[in-house]
Amino acid sequence: MKRRSFLKGTLATGAAAVAVNAGLLTPSTVLADWNAKAFAAKTTDDALNSVYGSAAAAASGDIKLKAPAIAENGAVTPVTVDATSMSGVESIAIMASKNPMPLVCTYNFGAAAQGYVSTRIKMGETMNVIAIVKAGGKLFKAEQEVKVTIGGCGG
Amino acid sequence: MAINIRMRGKAKGGVAEVKALIKHEMESGVRMNKKTGKPYPAKFINNVKVTVNGVEAVNSDWSGAVSANPYMAIMLNANSGDEVKISLTDNTGDTGEETLKV
Repeated sequence: MKRRSFLKGTLATGAAAVAVNAGLLTPSTVLADWNAKAFAAKTTDDALNSVYGSAAAAASGDIKLKAPAIAENGAVTPVTVDATSMSGVESIAIMASKNPMPLVCTYNFGAAAQGYVSTRIKMGETMNVIAIVKAGGKLFKAEQEVKVTIGGCGG
Repeated sequence: MAINIRMRGKAKGGVAEVKALIKHEMESGVRMNKKTGKPYPAKFINNVKVTVNGVEAVNSDWSGAVSANPYMAIMLNANSGDEVKISLTDNTGDTGEETLKV
């Protein structure tokens, strides 16, 4: 069974690679699952529209956004979004407002997960970290400024 | 090439905080090579899936703005003995996976 699925997988990727080489598919169509439009968006509103179909997020005190006030190294800024006190959390997105492409990551949760994410992100300069939480079909957000003393984008 | 993942986590009262450290350069495709004037080619993890006993719990998309050697912590509804599996893919098709009994 394992070998069969392995063979199937290689054949499928092989076919996709051929298609890419022949110019039939652009890489973005191959990665259809990955929301290329949202991650290429230049503004936070565009990114939100692509991910959630709306950019209207209400500020919420229930989202606990933990990020340092001053980050010595913007390339590894620890960010924690804790929305466990909210019910029906479906998704969390983290954005860095002034990055060239603001959307950093999106997390979609199933029944076995709680609305909590901790990660590290790259920030090029001093800017706001924005956490978007989708709970019960509505968007909520929390924002915090992080002062970056060394940029994280090859500066 | 398989991507290396290190996982930690213990279930306590039906909740498990699972932490993972992933070894990956996370090259965003934006950083310029000053010698050639061209950007370094993008190579970053763009999809991370977490399952509990085979049921999908978290499906996450990342951009190149997640730090190099990414750290991730999530909270799962899991009891001790449950099997948590992380599987990830980067934009060049490299994959990695790791399982842990919480």
